[in-house]
Amino acid sequence: MSVRPHGGGNNTTAGAPVELADVSKSFGGVQVLKPLRLALVPGEMLALLGPSGCGKTTTLRLIAGFEAPDTGSIRVAGRDVTGLPPNKRGLGMVFQNYSLFPHMTVGENVAFGLRMRRTGRAEKARRVREMLATVRLDGYEDRLIHQLSGGQQQRIALARALATSPSVLLLDEPLGALDKNLRERMQFELRDIQRRLGITSILVTHDQEEALTMSDRVAVMAHGEVLQVGRPTEVYDRPLTRFVSEFLGTANIFAAVVTGANGPNRWSVALDAQPHAAGTVESPAALAPGQRVTLAVRPERLSLGPPTDGTVRATVRDVVFRGTYFAYELTASGQPQPVFAYTQLRQPVAADAAVGLSWEPGGAVILQDTA
Amino acid sequence: MRRVRPYRLARPSWCVPVIAYLLVFFVIPLIANLLRSRPVDAAIGGGPFFYYVKLLTDPYYAGVLLETTKVALITTFVCLLVGYPVAYFMVRFAGRWNALIVFCVVAPLLTSIIMRTFGWRVLLARRGVLNAWLLDWGLITRPFELADQPIAVYIGLVHVLVPFMVLSINAVLQGIDVQLEDSARVLGAGRLRTFWHVTLPLSVDGIATGCILVFVLTNGSFLTMLLLGGGRITTLSLLIYQQFSTTQDVGFAAAMGNVLMLVALLGFLLQFRLLRRRGVKP
Repeated sequence: MSVRPHGGGNNTTAGAPVELADVSKSFGGVQVLKPLRLALVPGEMLALLGPSGCGKTTTLRLIAGFEAPDTGSIRVAGRDVTGLPPNKRGLGMVFQNYSLFPHMTVGENVAFGLRMRRTGRAEKARRVREMLATVRLDGYEDRLIHQLSGGQQQRIALARALATSPSVLLLDEPLGALDKNLRERMQFELRDIQRRLGITSILVTHDQEEALTMSDRVAVMAHGEVLQVGRPTEVYDRPLTRFVSEFLGTANIFAAVVTGANGPNRWSVALDAQPHAAGTVESPAALAPGQRVTLAVRPERLSLGPPTDGTVRATVRDVVFRGTYFAYELTASGQPQPVFAYTQLRQPVAADAAVGLSWEPGGAVILQDTA
Repeated sequence: MRRVRPYRLARPSWCVPVIAYLLVFFVIPLIANLLRSRPVDAAIGGGPFFYYVKLLTDPYYAGVLLETTKVALITTFVCLLVGYPVAYFMVRFAGRWNALIVFCVVAPLLTSIIMRTFGWRVLLARRGVLNAWLLDWGLITRPFELADQPIAVYIGLVHVLVPFMVLSINAVLQGIDVQLEDSARVLGAGRLRTFWHVTLPLSVDGIATGCILVFVLTNGSFLTMLLLGGGRITTLSLLIYQQFSTTQDVGFAAAMGNVLMLVALLGFLLQFRLLRRRGVKP
């Protein structure tokens, strides 16, 4: 089954499948989207990740055509669609609450886009069958929407969006209404279908795990702007700012001073909270001794050991078993916020025990903002 | 052992006063009316259905029945045409102005029908406001007689009854997720086709409720016909009024009332069936 996007000029080098050039939007004097530049790579799944009100949904609605941008232009498959209504943009979209037409059968829902394009009866039926097979709901044509489970409804919504072979698929919190187990299964399934069809997709989500699991690239948004775009491992391991670091997971933030070079791209730092504690960070940019920096260390990058020289002295406050790991909550003297460390195995430390924390050189990142 | 009953705010017994009230002031009079519609005077002959036969077979009364239906159908249709856009606007675009629009829509119902109807007479009269404006703007050269015309009756009826249409459709439109319309748009449907394929079919319940309400209420109203029609529109309800007030033919009036009642019941039965058929909704 080969379902290639048939948007005009898509297979030529006409440009990115979706390209936003300085697109901005205000609602009632509040700028919800600052001028935004974004270009998608053909066939990729890009996640727009951010807390509610960060402008991710507005970005999606601008691309879909439900809102008109105040400035800038939007190109889809090399064509300027800025002034076009949603029905002329050749997109597919899946909504959070499925948004299936309750007065139509499953088959009629999936066929709706084809019907709007006045596709022939035989072709329409063939295409509906093909799409239902794609989402593994063969033979569901005559079912009514309210007879389906949440997961099935979501799959039908996907089939309906894909039936017209859109050049780009927009996913607005597509799995938000599903419970945890089903959501995880659907993440992989949706990802699998997207890869198989090679359809360029934009996923809007506030769930960092979903963004990291499903996408080729993640664009982290806050306050109407994109803070960082990169591969999931990149934004997770090399966040540029404290916000990105903390939004993608737990991060321990330390203020420190550079004490000297320590190998290629490596520098020694001393923590403000505990000047005797030394650590190493990697940084592609050159650092000067005496320079003040902010470090972020992921809890799973911290290792617990005896409180020897050079380690960060801390006291164990609590241990929580989280299923796949143990989460330690610690207090480091001089550090106001608690420190978190995750370990695969339970460490031989009791509550209130004094421990030493350390990390491998690659485990700490220098953030651009100050602590 | 004491059985613990689940907590309920209301108990069935709370309905007793209402049922008693309806029994005395609604059901019993209806039965009385049914009995009254039989000819008292045995001398007239023709059996217990004499008045009904007369109503349906006499060309004049059959004509009145036909006219009643025509007036009700036209009023319903105009109310639908006028009311649907208003209801749609209220739900989709009005936002915080919604309360004001609701007030404006309901306002006609808050004024007395006599006041309202005479208001229309003032506006529509030969030397009334409307004619004065039309003359001033040079749109007409001679004033029209608009009062005492069928058009005045329709204007009056639509004015009173359109709120029922607007509120019925409004209630159903509120329940239609905007995202359904958004979905249709992305799938390639323009505004009109989105309305035709998604919004309209999903609001059929509201349309049906509104239409049946307006239809039944039109059948029952006679003051508008009496005060604005100038005798040019005679409907069954107006005839009942006349039978009571002028000819005092109580039996015949009762029979006509029962026919009107039957029409109303059929309307509600239709609505009930319609809702039942579309019943299960997520």
